[in-house]
Amino acid sequence: MTAVVILLTLAGLIFFSATTIGILRFPDFYSRMHAAGKGDTLSSLFMLLALVLYNFHEINLGNLLVAMKILLIVVFIFMASPTATHAITDAGYESGVKPWTKKPEEESP
Amino acid sequence: MIWQLDLSVLTLIVICAFATIMVKDLLSAAIIFGAYSFLMCLLWTEMGAVDVAFTEASVGAGVSTVLFIAAVYQTSRTVKPRKSGRGLAKIFALLATLLTGLVLLIAEADFPGFADLSSPASLHVSPYYITQTLHDTNVPNMVTSVLADYRGYDTMLETVVIFTAGLAVIAILRRYKKDQPFTPPEPYILSKGYPDTIIRFVARQLVPFIQLFALYVVAHGHHSPGGGFQGGVILGASFILLAISYDFKTVLGIMNEKWNVLLGNLGVLIYAGIGFLCLGLGANFLDYSILSKVLPATDRVMARSHGMLGIEIGVAIAVMAIVISIYLNVVSRGKYDKGL
Amino acid sequence: MQAIISHYNYWIYILLMMIGLYAMLAKNNLIKKVIGMSIFQTAIIVFYVSISAKEHASIPIIAHGHGHGAVEAAIDVAHYANPLPHVLMLTAIVVSVGTLGVALAICLGIYRRYNSLEEDEIQEQLQ
Repeated sequence: MTAVVILLTLAGLIFFSATTIGILRFPDFYSRMHAAGKGDTLSSLFMLLALVLYNFHEINLGNLLVAMKILLIVVFIFMASPTATHAITDAGYESGVKPWTKKPEEESP
Repeated sequence: MIWQLDLSVLTLIVICAFATIMVKDLLSAAIIFGAYSFLMCLLWTEMGAVDVAFTEASVGAGVSTVLFIAAVYQTSRTVKPRKSGRGLAKIFALLATLLTGLVLLIAEADFPGFADLSSPASLHVSPYYITQTLHDTNVPNMVTSVLADYRGYDTMLETVVIFTAGLAVIAILRRYKKDQPFTPPEPYILSKGYPDTIIRFVARQLVPFIQLFALYVVAHGHHSPGGGFQGGVILGASFILLAISYDFKTVLGIMNEKWNVLLGNLGVLIYAGIGFLCLGLGANFLDYSILSKVLPATDRVMARSHGMLGIEIGVAIAVMAIVISIYLNVVSRGKYDKGL
Repeated sequence: MQAIISHYNYWIYILLMMIGLYAMLAKNNLIKKVIGMSIFQTAIIVFYVSISAKEHASIPIIAHGHGHGAVEAAIDVAHYANPLPHVLMLTAIVVSVGTLGVALAICLGIYRRYNSLEEDEIQEQLQ
């Protein structure tokens, strides 16, 4: 059980660091939002699953309730986080943020 | 508490505070301030103050940020550089700040160490609260029992303060006559007008769950972090989400101005009414144990628990109404015509 | 190291207070001043919550079994964080959103009248 918890936490950490590097290193607004939206959601899933398993040292009603609550958090993150990313990206598109291209004259910092 | 976490989170907080003050774009400042509040919330969880963290997460990171964004949306977004000739004032401000910091630092040398078990604050009344709360009130969450029972006067007047703040916002901002139509200021082309189906659909699915969770927070505040303040703010935030994702008018159709003020009144009235009910039954103001005379099948201990639930409901109603009212006034500049 | 750990929280609270005070005094923009006020408030909350922390203490909720009176064991004071500052600060946070609303309302009122949020521009119009 502990091994699985460590594995899940490590996976979550890797995805979180990938997200952070993505936000810092990607060239423009849209790709950064892409990294933030996808990486965050998946790594939260891993982290919360690790928490659920970590909680189950013995099976009783209280632990089951806690596990249910954490899984509900997962469900709501999976609903809310992509929507928030979509909202921000949509607002950026509507206010005219130019996507990054490989053409040298349109290169953005 | 884990001191490694403590040190790193505190350092991040200072960086965020600096960034909030230094950044030129006010919208960015509002967002960084939201991150600052969220880091505060982590810090308090780490120090064991879960109720404070919950309040900060709902109030500081949630509603405050929305209020800042609403205010920035209604005014100008960029900070103009100061005209010349005010450098001296800046130096004086810096000197005053450094002097204050120096005085505080001198006073700080006498403080008990962080997380000291025998610090004076932890010796006087708090041991009584910690050991007796389960025996006196049958409420395991000490913060709730101190908030609503032992220090009930304090909380009642805090609720009145919030209610007064709501009335003050209405008094300052509300305009009834229709003057010039609202035009967004220059740097904004936020939305070209057509509604986004994805956001609307998800918000509509989420709002009932948020409200249900808020009611759970209010009702379960005796056994877990939470209570009237947090639940009320979350209930208010659900309406704010509706106002942002849908239209301003939709929320006005559900919670119009009259209802907001009435519910704010009702919440304070429930709190004070329970106090006066205790007084009428022959006990002190807000001494809930006397309620066992009117509530069926409760002894004096459970009556205190139920009395707390009653005033938490009152607090939640008042806070919800006032949060919605403040948001609606700030975002429409008191004209109630159009929002974010 | 021990000295740093036992005073770090207080240093940070002083630093945050100074940041907030400086913003309130020196910044030209009124919204920045309001942000400074909020930082000042949170600094005080940091101070109070730091006082309430205890070494190796748990959150101030008594762990009890299900059902009424399931746990009647002796309650160790050192095992729970001090709940009193938590209560004071919990209400202070909610009041701070009230004061924030009033402050922003005053800012909007000033903007409606003077069409600016910069201190020096408002003072020019006042003269």
